[in-house]
Amino acid sequence: MGSPPLFYRWSSKALVWLGVSSIITLSLGLFMGIGLSPADYKQGDVYRIIYIHVPSAIMGESIFIFMALCGFINIIWRAKISGMLLKAAAPIGMSFVLLVLTTGSIWGKPTWGTWWVWDARLTSTLILFFIYAALIGLHSTIEDKIKADRAVSILAIVGVAIIPVIKKSVDWWQTLHQPSTFKLTSAPSMSPEMYQPLLICVIGFYLVFAFILTLNLRNEILERESSKKWVKEVIGNQS
Amino acid sequence: MKSWTYILLKRDLLIAFRRSATYITPLIFFLIVITFFPLALGPQEKLLSSLAPGVIWIAALLASLLAVETIFNEDFRDGTLDSFFISLEPTFILVFVKVFIHWLITGLPLLLASCVAALVLYLPFESVSAMILSLILGTFFMSLLGALGAALSLGKSAILSAVIVLPFSIPTLLMGTSVIASAINNQEYTGFLMIMGGMLAIGIPAICLLTVEALLLSYD
Repeated sequence: MGSPPLFYRWSSKALVWLGVSSIITLSLGLFMGIGLSPADYKQGDVYRIIYIHVPSAIMGESIFIFMALCGFINIIWRAKISGMLLKAAAPIGMSFVLLVLTTGSIWGKPTWGTWWVWDARLTSTLILFFIYAALIGLHSTIEDKIKADRAVSILAIVGVAIIPVIKKSVDWWQTLHQPSTFKLTSAPSMSPEMYQPLLICVIGFYLVFAFILTLNLRNEILERESSKKWVKEVIGNQS
Repeated sequence: MKSWTYILLKRDLLIAFRRSATYITPLIFFLIVITFFPLALGPQEKLLSSLAPGVIWIAALLASLLAVETIFNEDFRDGTLDSFFISLEPTFILVFVKVFIHWLITGLPLLLASCVAALVLYLPFESVSAMILSLILGTFFMSLLGALGAALSLGKSAILSAVIVLPFSIPTLLMGTSVIASAINNQEYTGFLMIMGGMLAIGIPAICLLTVEALLLSYD
């Protein structure tokens, strides 16, 4: 993994598998969720947006934890690849958070009667969005990529403090947002026909993340090693 | 022989006092922002006193960010920072002293100015002590965050460090305004103060260490 050309060659095979499996899982999950599962007795069909909303919320948070871990490894062991992973993951995480906020407000309009409320869960997610923006902004201002990686690593470690706040916001404060759908310690509060597709969607979203992350990482490697001989060979073969 | 922390403290305070703009600019900025709110929203006493906690806190956050670039930039340019890194003294302590000095220069005057702000915004008199307590803890945390932002954007524009730091300052803003709002409504506010203290307790070691790391970025 440490050697960029090796990773590049290995990842082209992994990409195919990741792509195919993410398409299959996600379409299965969405088909089951939107097509087969029963309508909610209170909300009707509107609730079906959770098959996008909940997985992307999980992704937005877990990508940040992933980035903080990468940052930690990058600061301590100065592993180049962890810095690149951090850089490659940031825009994906930010898009997922944007997706949570949009799907949430689309769902909120018919059910709560408003696009946005200043509730703890929503606000802390918005803060997460701004923190992603700060990380990406900081990276683009520093010319030297390796230094930029380390600067962003430091900020990602500080920023990870927001994650438990988001997670616990529905328990600590009286909020409009309902408590977590999934809990590790107890059985889900939904019927199996509803949560099984949701579980599949979550797995599908993780696969999509791995797929896009690999794509981004490959681009990042090509860009950073663009003066090396093997890159010229790879580019030459493709064109 | 005097300890180097004392020497550093004395030197930086002397520099700040000789150049009065460093501590007067945030103060004036704070008061101007406070003045803008009654001008823009209208001078009704009821409206202003209900908005006062938020207004005071937003002004304090922005004012403490204003002087952030002075924390390391000067020392970075004239080489003082270099000599600290080769002096074998713990740089962690150096960063903490720097943060403390920044707080003395910007945070402390803000506490005095906030009393004036409380007066002109009709904040109930009983909640002034809560406001000052929350501002002491909050502005110190802002100085810590500001030091990190300044170290990350060393030699670059001040607006960059503001954009980096602002999203991270939201918890402080929320806690700080909750303290004052609870005090106005005669509710218990020590819980919020404890959370702010907890943030400081974790923040002082963690952010000082990360700031050292961020400073080292400029010395590779």
